[in-house]
Amino acid sequence: MRAEELKGHLDALLLAALEDGPRHGYAVMEALRQATDGRLDLPTGTIYPALHRLADAGLISGSWSVVAGRRRRVYQLTGAGRRALAGKRADWRDFAAMISAALEGSPCPDPA
Amino acid sequence: MPGPGLIEDYRAAVSAQLPASIVDELADGLAETYRSYLDQGLGPDAAARAAIAEFGEPALVVAAFTRASPARRAARRLLMTGPVVGACWGAVLIAGRAWTWPVPIAARVLLGMILAGAVVLLATAALLPRYRPARHAATAACAWLAAVDVAAVAAVAVLAPHVPWPGLFAVPASASRVAFTTRAMRSVLRP
Repeated sequence: MRAEELKGHLDALLLAALEDGPRHGYAVMEALRQATDGRLDLPTGTIYPALHRLADAGLISGSWSVVAGRRRRVYQLTGAGRRALAGKRADWRDFAAMISAALEGSPCPDPA
Repeated sequence: MPGPGLIEDYRAAVSAQLPASIVDELADGLAETYRSYLDQGLGPDAAARAAIAEFGEPALVVAAFTRASPARRAARRLLMTGPVVGACWGAVLIAGRAWTWPVPIAARVLLGMILAGAVVLLATAALLPRYRPARHAATAACAWLAAVDVAAVAAVAVLAPHVPWPGLFAVPASASRVAFTTRAMRSVLRP
């Protein structure tokens, strides 16, 4: 899957990757690759600006440590981030059900 | 060692354009990527090339940071809200029949140039595809606009009984913008 296809969904993916605990940027990308069986094809360097944007929005927080002589920034979800992730999950389920109904003729569930 | 040499070249390329804290974070991620390819059995040079290919070329990463930068977001928000604040003050001037005020033409031209300068700086920050110049332009524009707003509100405070009624909207609009530009400058200048 290419970056342009992810437009609008990257924030939710990054929040989901941090749901299980704090991760640094590379570990976030690895978690997304594992979760998608390697089908997610984003340049790793481009997820860092998205992490910074989420941190500026207060959805994640970053803290610095030193690992193997290198400065490392580790991110974790904030309370607002957990709420945002729950909302994005619900929106995605509604959206996916609606598109499936239109493309495949499956019954469209009533909105909650 | 050719591999680490490529990694150092990468670091130097992003260092020239991004703040040190971002460079440190990218360098850590790139080092982890490089190490993972070494663990898979690639030699240093092949591992470095594979790591850079996976990470994205410096120009791509710098462009992504510039698009997501606090400077660009602040500049775009100020460009969008500027006409509203400007309309409030325009209403003050019209209601007060500003064209009849004994203000020298040079002062009017100077005010126009100050406002135009702020717009140019904001447009530069919003559109320039380079991180550091966009950051400098956004910082200057925020400081510039804050000074204009503080001066406008101070003028109202001095002339208080004689300020036309649209000042009830213009003063809060400028005060809100001062609060926003102050927060934005802190965010833009964060190391």
